[in-house]
Amino acid sequence: MTGPGRHTVVVDLGYGDAGKGTVVDLLCADGPVGAVIRFNGGAQAAHNVVTPDGRHHTFAQFGSGTLHGVPTHLSRFVVVDPLALAAEAEQLNAIGVPDPFGLLTVDAEALLSTPWHIAANRLRELGRGASRHGSCGMGVGETMAYALRHGDAPRAGDTLDPPRLRRRLAAVRDRLSDELGELGGPPLDDVVSVFRTFGAIVSVVDGRAARRDLLNAGRCVFEGAQGVLLDEWFGWHPYTTWSTTTFANAETLLTEAGHEAQRLGVVRTYTTRHGAGPLVTEDVGLTRALPDRHNGTGRWQGPFRVGHFDAVAHRYAVEVAGGVDALAVTHLDAPERVPELAICSEYVVDGSSLGRLVPGERGDLAYQERLTALLGRARPARLDRPAHRASAIGALLDAPVVIESYGPSTADKRMLAATG
Amino acid sequence: MGSGHWSTDVYGAAASYRAATGRSAFAYSDSGARRVHERLDPRGVGVRESCDSDEHPRSTPIAVLFDVTGSMGNVPRTLQGKLPELFGLLMRKGYAADPQIMFGAIGDATCDRVPLQIGQFESDNRMDDDLGSIVLEGGGGGQRTESYELAMYFMARHTSLDSVQRRGRRGYLFLIGDELPYPQVKPAEVHRWIGDELAEPISVAAIVAELRQRFEVYYILPSGASYAGDPEILGYWRRLLGQHVIELDDLDAVCETIALTVGLGEQAIDLAEGLNDLDDIGSTATGAVGKALATIGSSSRGGVVRTSLPDGLETDGPEDGLVRL
Repeated sequence: MTGPGRHTVVVDLGYGDAGKGTVVDLLCADGPVGAVIRFNGGAQAAHNVVTPDGRHHTFAQFGSGTLHGVPTHLSRFVVVDPLALAAEAEQLNAIGVPDPFGLLTVDAEALLSTPWHIAANRLRELGRGASRHGSCGMGVGETMAYALRHGDAPRAGDTLDPPRLRRRLAAVRDRLSDELGELGGPPLDDVVSVFRTFGAIVSVVDGRAARRDLLNAGRCVFEGAQGVLLDEWFGWHPYTTWSTTTFANAETLLTEAGHEAQRLGVVRTYTTRHGAGPLVTEDVGLTRALPDRHNGTGRWQGPFRVGHFDAVAHRYAVEVAGGVDALAVTHLDAPERVPELAICSEYVVDGSSLGRLVPGERGDLAYQERLTALLGRARPARLDRPAHRASAIGALLDAPVVIESYGPSTADKRMLAATG
Repeated sequence: MGSGHWSTDVYGAAASYRAATGRSAFAYSDSGARRVHERLDPRGVGVRESCDSDEHPRSTPIAVLFDVTGSMGNVPRTLQGKLPELFGLLMRKGYAADPQIMFGAIGDATCDRVPLQIGQFESDNRMDDDLGSIVLEGGGGGQRTESYELAMYFMARHTSLDSVQRRGRRGYLFLIGDELPYPQVKPAEVHRWIGDELAEPISVAAIVAELRQRFEVYYILPSGASYAGDPEILGYWRRLLGQHVIELDDLDAVCETIALTVGLGEQAIDLAEGLNDLDDIGSTATGAVGKALATIGSSSRGGVVRTSLPDGLETDGPEDGLVRL
C-alpha cells in the first residue's frame, strides 16, 4: 500500500470471531514484523491460529504472531490478566515457543485485572439472570469500570513496587466486597506474590518509548480484539463490551509515535455472534450447518450463533470505524459446503425497507439502545447468493479484498495484494 | 472473542511463572541467537546505574561478568542454576545491604560476534532475564586471551554507583574466566562495541586502577576449565589483582564463593562464620569455598589485603591462619 505507512491495524467488522488471529498470523508469516501490538480488550480475546503442521493455539494476551517468534506489546489500552497470561505462556511453551515471556513487553500503564474483578463480573452477570449481556466472565469490563471509579486501580507498573501493589490490590478486594458481598478468591498475600513474579518475569516498560522504538524499527501489526459491532459506544447497547473496538485506540498510539497505518477490516463470509444481542440474519439451520471449530457454548457467554452475511451491519461497522483501506474475508470455503448461505444487504423494519443504519453521536447510549430495539424488529429483506463471494463483499463494503482465507491454516490463505 | 480460555488460578499461575524462570535460562542463546540482545548491548547505553531507592536505601552493587567463550564450558549455566541461592544467601544472612546484581558476558573482540554483553543492576529476579538473554558464544580466539580489558573499560567508565557517590562504599566486580586480557584497551574496539571515541589506547594496569575506584575487583579462576592452574595465567592475574584472585576447584560453588567474598568485604562475617552459614543451609560447597577463600579470609575481619602473594603459594584450608578480631 502507498500512503498509510508500513504498519497494519487489524480490526473485526462484526461481533468478533471473524479470524483476526489467522490474519495477523499470516501477516507475520509474510515478512519481517517487529511486533504485534494489542490496543484493546484483554484476556477474554480468543484468536485461534492453526499452523500448517497442525499446532493450534487460542491467543488471548499473546499476539497471534507468536508462533513466528514475533514479539507482543500490550499497550495501555489492554487489560492485563497476569494469571491467565501465565497459563497461556505455559501452553505456548508446550507447543514449541521456547521463552514466551521473553517475547512480551507490557505498558506500565496497562490496567491489571484481579481475581476479585473476575468474581465481581460473574456475580453481576448471575444477577442479571435472563437479561445477560453476553459477558465473557473474565472481568475485563469490571476492571475498566473500577478504574473509572478509582484512580488507584492496579496497573502493570505497580508490580515493580510491592508496597504500592499490595495497597492497591487490597483496595480492589475491599471495595468490591463492600459493594457485592463475599467474593471468595485467594488470599491477598498469594495474589501479591504472583503479581510480583509477573512483574519480575515480563518486561514492564514505558509504553510510549517502547512503541516509538518498535514503530521506528520495523513493521508492526496492531491486533484488535472483539469486533466493531460490540464497541462500547457504537455497538447495540447494552450488548456491548467495555472496550473501544474500532481503530481509534490504535490511531491514538500511532499518532503519539508519529506513524500511520493501513486499516484492514476482517469479516467472515457469514455473520456470527457469540452470546446475547441482536443478530438480524440469524438462522438456526446455519448454526447447525456451520458449527464452529473453536467456539461452543460458553458458560458465561451463551451459545455461538450463525447468520447470513449481514452487509447492513458490517457497512455500519465500516462507517463508525471511519472507513477501511482493505478487507480480509475468511471462511470462503463455507458457501461451497453450505449452499443456502447468502448475503443480506437490506432489512425490512415495520413494513419498510432499510439499507443503512445511521450512526449516532459517540456517547449517546440512548440512541444506541433505540438501534438495538429497531434491530430486534428487523428481518432480512431478501437474500442474495453471488458466485464470487469475496468480490461481492468487497463491493458492498466499498474496499478491496487483499486477503482471502479458505481454511484454518496459513496454507489456506491467499494474499491478493501487498499489505502494508 | 472468547470466554476466558486460560485458567486464572493463582497457584497454577505461580507454578507457571516458576517454571518459566527455569526455562528462560539462556533461552535467547539456545534459540540460535548470534547477536547481542538489545537489553545487553553496551553500545551507546550511557551508564548502567545502581541506585538507592526508598525500598533499597543502601544499594550494594555486585557485578558478575563471565567468559562465555568455548573454554569456559558450563560456567554460565551453572551460574543460572545457582543464582537464586546467591541472592538468598546475601539477603538471609545479611551479608550485604540491598544487593543489586548485574550480569555480563565477555568474549573476544578480535574474533567473536558478541564480545561484550552487559545487563542492568537489578534488585529482584529481573537479572534472570539478563542471564537468559546472554549469548553463549563458544568460539574465542584460541590464543588464551579474551577481551577482559574491554569489559573493565565499560565497568570503569559506564557505571554510576550510588554506593560510591553517596556513601563512599565500593561495589563488587567478579570476573570469572580462565584466560588473559589483551594488553591494551584499543580505541577501535571501544568505538565499535561501546561507541566512545578514545584518543589513545589504555593499558590494562591503568584501566584496573581506574576500575578499583568504584569496585573491589576479583578474578575467579575455575578449575576444570582448560587453563586452570596454568601458572602464567594465574601469575598474571595475581600481579594485577593481588590476593583478589580466587582459584575454585568446584564450579558448583561459584555462587557461595561470591556470597562469602561479599560478606567478608562488607565485614558482615569472617570466613569461619561464612562456612558455618553454608553448613546451616546444607550447602555441599563448604570445602571448596573454604579452600578458595583461605587467603582472603585469613586477613583480619573485612580487611582487604593488597599485597601480592608469591605465585603458587599453597594454602591448606579454612582453618589456616584465621585471625579473629
